[in-house]
Amino acid sequence: MTAHAEHLPHDEHHHGPPVPHYSSRMTPAVLGMFLFIASEIMLFGSFFTAYFFVRVVAGTPWPTPPFHLPVFVAFLNTCILVTSSFTIHWATTSIKRGNVWGLRAGLLLTFLMGLTFLITQAIEYSRIGFNTSDGAFATIFFCLTGLHGAHVFVGLSILLFMTIRAFRGHFSAEHHHGVEIGGIYWHFVDVMWIVVYATVYLL
Amino acid sequence: MRRGAIAPLIGIGVVAGGIAAAVALALPWLPTPASKEAARIHPLFWFVIVICIVVFAAVTAVMGYTIIRFRAAPDDDSDGPPIHGHTGLEIVWTLIPTLLVTAIGIVSAIVLARNDALGANVLRVNVTAQQFAWSFSYPEANGLTSGTLRLPKDRSVLLVFHAKDVIHSFWVPQFSQKQDTVPGIETRLHITPNRLGTFPVICTELCGLGHAVMRTQAIVMTPAAFDKWLHGQSSAVASPNSSVAGAAVFKNNACGACHTLKAAGTTGKVGPDLDKLAAEAQAAGQPLQDFVRQSIVDPNAYVAKGYAKNVMPATFGTALSKQELDALVQYLISSSKKG
Amino acid sequence: MTATTVDHEVSPRSGGARHYLLGAGWIRALWMSALFAAFGFGLVVLLRWWGDWQPIFKWTPIVLVSILVCAPLGFLAGLGTFDYWARYAIGSPTRVDDHSGHGATSWKDYFKVNTDHKVIGVQYLVTTIVFFILGGMLALLVRAELAKPGTQYFDPQTYNGLFSVHASLMIFLFVIPAFAGLANFAVPLMLGAADMAFPRLNALSFWLLPIAGIMMLSSFVVPGGAFACGWTGYAPLCSTHQPLGAVFFNQGVQWAGASSIMTALNFLVTIITMRAPGMTFWRMPLLVWANFTTSLLVVIATPFIAGSQFFSMFDHVMHTAFFDPGNGGYALGYQHIFWFYSHPAVYIMMLPGFGIVSEVIAVFSRKPIFGYRLMALSLMAIVVLGFSVWAHHMFVSGMAPWLRVPMMITTLLIAVPTGIKIFSWLATMWEGKLRFNTPMLFALGFLSMFVIGGLSGVMLGAVPIDIHVSDTYFIVAHIHYVLFGGSVFTIFAGMYYWFPKITGRMYNERLGKLHFWLTFVGFNLTFFPMHLVGMEGMPRRVADYAPKFASLNMFISLASFGLGMSTIVFLYNMITSWRNGPIAPSNPWRGMTLEWLVSSPPPTFNFDEIPQVVGSPYEYGVPGAQHAILAPARATEVEEVTVP
Ligand code: HEA
Ligand code: HEA
Ligand code: HEC
Ligand code: CUA
Ligand SMILES: [Cu+2]
Repeated sequence: MTAHAEHLPHDEHHHGPPVPHYSSRMTPAVLGMFLFIASEIMLFGSFFTAYFFVRVVAGTPWPTPPFHLPVFVAFLNTCILVTSSFTIHWATTSIKRGNVWGLRAGLLLTFLMGLTFLITQAIEYSRIGFNTSDGAFATIFFCLTGLHGAHVFVGLSILLFMTIRAFRGHFSAEHHHGVEIGGIYWHFVDVMWIVVYATVYLL
Repeated sequence: MRRGAIAPLIGIGVVAGGIAAAVALALPWLPTPASKEAARIHPLFWFVIVICIVVFAAVTAVMGYTIIRFRAAPDDDSDGPPIHGHTGLEIVWTLIPTLLVTAIGIVSAIVLARNDALGANVLRVNVTAQQFAWSFSYPEANGLTSGTLRLPKDRSVLLVFHAKDVIHSFWVPQFSQKQDTVPGIETRLHITPNRLGTFPVICTELCGLGHAVMRTQAIVMTPAAFDKWLHGQSSAVASPNSSVAGAAVFKNNACGACHTLKAAGTTGKVGPDLDKLAAEAQAAGQPLQDFVRQSIVDPNAYVAKGYAKNVMPATFGTALSKQELDALVQYLISSSKKG
Repeated sequence: MTATTVDHEVSPRSGGARHYLLGAGWIRALWMSALFAAFGFGLVVLLRWWGDWQPIFKWTPIVLVSILVCAPLGFLAGLGTFDYWARYAIGSPTRVDDHSGHGATSWKDYFKVNTDHKVIGVQYLVTTIVFFILGGMLALLVRAELAKPGTQYFDPQTYNGLFSVHASLMIFLFVIPAFAGLANFAVPLMLGAADMAFPRLNALSFWLLPIAGIMMLSSFVVPGGAFACGWTGYAPLCSTHQPLGAVFFNQGVQWAGASSIMTALNFLVTIITMRAPGMTFWRMPLLVWANFTTSLLVVIATPFIAGSQFFSMFDHVMHTAFFDPGNGGYALGYQHIFWFYSHPAVYIMMLPGFGIVSEVIAVFSRKPIFGYRLMALSLMAIVVLGFSVWAHHMFVSGMAPWLRVPMMITTLLIAVPTGIKIFSWLATMWEGKLRFNTPMLFALGFLSMFVIGGLSGVMLGAVPIDIHVSDTYFIVAHIHYVLFGGSVFTIFAGMYYWFPKITGRMYNERLGKLHFWLTFVGFNLTFFPMHLVGMEGMPRRVADYAPKFASLNMFISLASFGLGMSTIVFLYNMITSWRNGPIAPSNPWRGMTLEWLVSSPPPTFNFDEIPQVVGSPYEYGVPGAQHAILAPARATEVEEVTVP
């Protein structure tokens, strides 16, 4: 966020705010992102609670016959998403060293992989053979993967903005806060998918 | 503690506690108990109330005293003494409440465990709740169903609940026992009635527009009278005499909880007065027989003026057998003519 | 405004006809709402047509997507809450400290997106009072219906809608945001910060509120009527047996909840990263502590109510089977998820009040807070315990029986940290120099009434007692003793306490005291008898009741109208004092916390220079003690203001 932020020179009679004092080593934006992720985890937590009630307490068979889940395709999709965590990491480390091209390539790759993931999931939905109204198993399946998909979509939008800004040359070795914060979110989306994949497809 | 504060503190405390105790004792807070469970809950209630009154009196005493004693004079701009705390005092007021609530917890857990323990020779009653009616069936009498809950005195009763549509809740204030009925799962409640009488059964979980009227009665009878009723009822429904059978069906399905019918001695006000069926059939422009049958099987087909749709359960059409339905219709027609 | 405008000296609000339509503001909000609604409509219809779902024009999903989701987004975008981020996102130049949206010079500025925490605080307070009055009027309609047994004015469905909307407004649009508003005003000042950490997020949080409130209220006019399943919205009644209005509730809660989460996040970041030098955690005023702990609760718990409302709404709109046992769902799941938020929510509605009362009692007793550290720690203890008691709302629900005793124990234990607070306040007053201005009266009213409400809570915590009184008027009495006698009294205390600081004028003390006494007496007459009718056998949420409760209910109804009247005194006092009350000095109560060291109302950026904190905020009676040292420039300016 700091691309163009420079403090005004503070003369005696300024009318702006006082020079802020930061009482924590973490910057507000990073701390804010972590807290936001904490509440996101709780949102996923509520969905997993619903999953728990349906699958464990109510004992719904998983998957409920005659439906079955495309475990293998989802596995490939998982690999794609996990790889994208590495590419975004590459992007952030690049820009910290001042390597703008590494940043751009990393962001583009990450974006494309995220997009592939989302498209694969959309195709999976359309071929899966059941619908949201086909019982509790289908409900939980669509809602957990759908909630995650919505997060991928948000993550992709953030990535898109980051990429635009990267190509406009807004980031440098000194100013890379925007990349870092977006990166944290993308890592979160990836980790969350591993949990979703494990509980919905594997267990 | 400053000197001379103790006496006024105790004074205010006693007055506040006294007023609270007087309020507690003078008003008829709880209904007279009619079950062994209520007889255990009421003393627990008083036990907690006493603790609460003591806590309340203590707080009021200190507050009252400070308000009277430490009021600043209008021109006094000085500050109070800079006291920052007192570890001993802080430990005391952490420990005492801990002890008090622990005591409440232990006594409650004991009462709960004893109330949940079933006695010997348990009478099981299956209860079905639906929008907006109760029905009770007795496996002991081959599944005889009744719209009112009849129970023998001094026998352990296990109510097993099922809900057809949404969550309801079974409560008899005099039994002090309450249990939600949840669609999809079975819930249970244990009652040992120990006083003869007729008590209201109230639905206490919001279940839709008819929630307020989802009521019936619990009738506690002597064991002998209960046995007689149980067997009398099973034969009455099967009686070849249609008016006897119809009256039994009417009673068993709690129609009287909502409807007035002189012949059955019921005074429900939720639905239309069934003594005036003939006039209503005319208003609906249907022959009496068809009208009554349709009103029971498909209550929303014609809704009497001034009454709401969707209050009368729409399930009687499938719940009642053909014979029962015929008997019921016959019974309503003949008794409304008399009335 | 063109995307490249960076200079805040050029007000983005000035301009010709083009700006009139395209510039951020109500005009743009209007057409953008319509545009977004149309987009949502098109999206649903297109998707249904493409997926070949019949009927293509199905109103529930259309209303949901276009009116309840897209139109509000359009409204926010039109108003300009997203402008900065949008520019940032597409890579246009932005200035982090663009303060063009700061401060208010006329009443019109309160109807714009403003990033000044003080303006936002006022926006919050005024909005929430409006919803308090609306919610209160619904309560009076409830009481009118209940004055006599039988149905008088409303059919049962409408009646159920009345108290459901009453409670939802009071909780989601009055108590929770009113506290957020007071804290918005006070917390940055008390910390010695110029503003919140994220001023634009702060503005967005506020503007979500009117959306939520209007959504809940407007459910009365949709076909089928308002949601009528109580503020708890239990499934499956709310998820599958309710008219379209239920979706308005589900979605309204989402907007209010999102607002709440964003504000809490903002508070946490502000408190952690923006404290003035020297302001250690152990030197923070208890109001700040209270909002810190509350915000932790909000960030962790509120996503659960979001989840519960999503599930309920999906069951309604998409026919999923979360709570539909016929299809593999589990009905009690709703209650577990809902109460995992909503029990902590009752502390979200109480802890900020504890903070306010701590400030007021210390100042008006002229004594340091007794046991300051234990006061802060007990807040943390309540937060931690608060997460482990949710099932005390479910003692009779049919949940696993073994859960009852552990939940009873944790529930009862909450009395301990709460008791510590009560006793410490009393000890703070002990030997003090008490002054009974209106804020103090409300604080003392809170102290006595909350103890009653808390004690009835302890009774409810004991499982066998709860089994008898659950879902009766005893609960209604408990609710109002803790929420009205607790939260609302502290909100009034806070409003009177900071009124001079917020408006720069003094309120009328005599009217304030009159308001207190009318409220105090009316409140007790209204809600105390409810304990009695409840225990004797009157269930809650009924429009019609047994004739034996008739006289008491008539009494309660009459008292409630008196209670309603007391609000008029409050409104009159606030409005007239704001317009022409006497000018307030910067520190009318002789408080030590930072907000009293700047002028009333505070300057736009609070401080010329960030102050240096040197001691505890409550050193009353300690000779020469100071909480903070202000930069000299500001200090002289303050003196000028204090001499009227
Ligand atoms: C501000 C809101 C608020 C607060 C602070 C509380 C505080 C408490 N509440 Fe309350 N509660 C509600 C709002 C609140 N509640 C609402 C809205 C509902 C109904 C929801 C619905 O169904 O619609 C509800 C319902 C509710 C129930 C469920 C009843 C039912 O539906 O069957 C229970 C049961 O345990 C309960 C318990 C408690 C307890 C133990 C506390 C404790 O935190 C109280 C602690 C305080 C004290 C105890 C007083 C001070 C302490 C001392 C002076 C120390 C000494 C004390 C002792 C030794 C006892 N509450
Ligand atoms: C903060 C929360 C809060 C507040 C302040 C109140 C305030 C009031 N409540 Fe509320 N109430 C709840 C929270 C609250 N309530 C909750 C959570 C429930 C449970 C709902 C459920 O079951 O789902 C409930 C339920 C509830 C019921 C039970 C309904 C039922 O179960 O059937 C009743 C019945 O008497 C009631 C009454 C009142 C009254 C009389 C007030 C009074 O204090 C209101 C005072 C009146 C006003 C403040 C209006 C003043 C305005 C004017 C007089 C007009 C002046 C206007 C101008 C000058 C423009 N409430
Ligand atoms: C929960 C309350 C309730 C119960 C239980 C109930 N009814 Fe009704 N009944 C109503 C209401 C309300 C109406 C009027 C609205 C309607 O027609 O749906 C009604 C209407 C009727 C009518 C039409 C009367 C007229 O004048 O229009 C008949 C006949 C009737 N009920 C018979 C019965 C019988 C027989 C039973 C029991 C087997 C029964 N009802 C149980 C509430 C109830
Ligand atoms: Cu059934 Cu309320
Ligand atoms: Cu609770």
